[in-house]
Amino acid sequence: MIKPIDDFMRLFGASISLDESLIVKKKNRYFLLGTSLKKVTLEDFFYAGTYLGKIKNGKFFPGFELLRMMSEKRANKVVVNKKTEWLFICGRDVFKRGIVNAIGLGRKGDHVLVLNGYGECLGFGRVISDLDKEGAFIKNISDIGDFLRREPRTPKSSTLY
Amino acid sequence: MSGREFFTERYRRLGWEYQTVELKQTIRINAANVKKRLGLIKRLQNLGMVLTKVPFLENGFWVEQSRFSAGATTEYLSGLYSIQEAAAQVPATLFTELKDKVVLDACAAPGGKTTQLADLMQNTGAIAALDINRQRLTALSNHLERCRVKNTIVHQLDARRVSRLKTGFDRILLDMPCSGNFATDRNWFKRRTIKDVEINAALQREILTETVKMLEHNGEIIYSTCSLEPEENELNVDWAIKSLGMRVEEISCYGQEGLTEVFGKNLEESVGNCVRIWPGQTQGFFVCKLRKSESA
Repeated sequence: MIKPIDDFMRLFGASISLDESLIVKKKNRYFLLGTSLKKVTLEDFFYAGTYLGKIKNGKFFPGFELLRMMSEKRANKVVVNKKTEWLFICGRDVFKRGIVNAIGLGRKGDHVLVLNGYGECLGFGRVISDLDKEGAFIKNISDIGDFLRREPRTPKSSTLY
Repeated sequence: MSGREFFTERYRRLGWEYQTVELKQTIRINAANVKKRLGLIKRLQNLGMVLTKVPFLENGFWVEQSRFSAGATTEYLSGLYSIQEAAAQVPATLFTELKDKVVLDACAAPGGKTTQLADLMQNTGAIAALDINRQRLTALSNHLERCRVKNTIVHQLDARRVSRLKTGFDRILLDMPCSGNFATDRNWFKRRTIKDVEINAALQREILTETVKMLEHNGEIIYSTCSLEPEENELNVDWAIKSLGMRVEEISCYGQEGLTEVFGKNLEESVGNCVRIWPGQTQGFFVCKLRKSESA
């Protein structure tokens, strides 16, 4: 069941051992449950535990907690400066001059996690041209600014039921 | 029966003179996600945010000034803090003990208090978070993901059908659907009638009746509303004492003691253990802790 997740992690040269017995697939979405949560889980839930990601059009799209878990282990990643951090969470790509440090591969086509100076994972992208070449950049695929972009699609908090 | 005059006259009869209020934005630090609280505050100050500690909250800070929207920083998007009104931060902190408990958040969306509960529980135990509205569940789920909550399961379920979960709860948060108050809604006086208040009060009694059945021995219920109307607050608690065999425990938090006399009607003395927050530094709020009495 977790093959799509493993395949996705492999794109980053990452590997996390996830307890398959605690992973639940609900329609096209994957959730990781803690043991105490498993006791109260009904079949028909809306969201549970840690959201790992979903399959859409045959592709796996990760949840941000999965990216964060990967960023704590060995994986392709770049650390970016403050200005680039802000641009990245606004949906922009990462240019070479904004990269402070690169860990792991940085070849064309590689997937990399993008971290800020505090080591917090901001999202991920794909290397468009080798990072050691002039004009290299990382195409933004997903970033935490998505939490804001999702908001207009959901109702504002209200005191009403 | 509605309008500013009608409601402000009621408040005067309850002992409070109406005043306009300007609420400050409040943030709550998600302690479980922050290694050093001081470090986060410094980061926010470096962004140009001026923060003052809310004196009655451990993790609450008023945003006095900010160059950025507090809801659009990397720190917010990384789940290091949430935006949650100061009085709304009170209820979850009143449970005696939360670690490893099984908790019900019966009317959970949009999820400010759910993420706070998870933070106080340090992601141990389990929270069942319910709401009836699917769209609001999406907002709740986004909050849970952003705040890195791991111990919560969300169901689209009317709190009055909670028995379908077939499990008992050690702690129950009943942050009730309510009429709200004028401090957070500019058009409140235009929109609200006493009929709305009565409808909400009846719904609250139904939810209370069904959720009490799921409370484990020695369990606790925190009942809260952001309504100023006694029908949704003290009168409902008085009813819970008499009809459901509940008792009201003393709590220590910001606010004034609950009313024991409402429009000429005397209530159970222990209703005074409730806490009523009139709008001022915060929005209006009402909160109390209930347990099943020995005889119930």
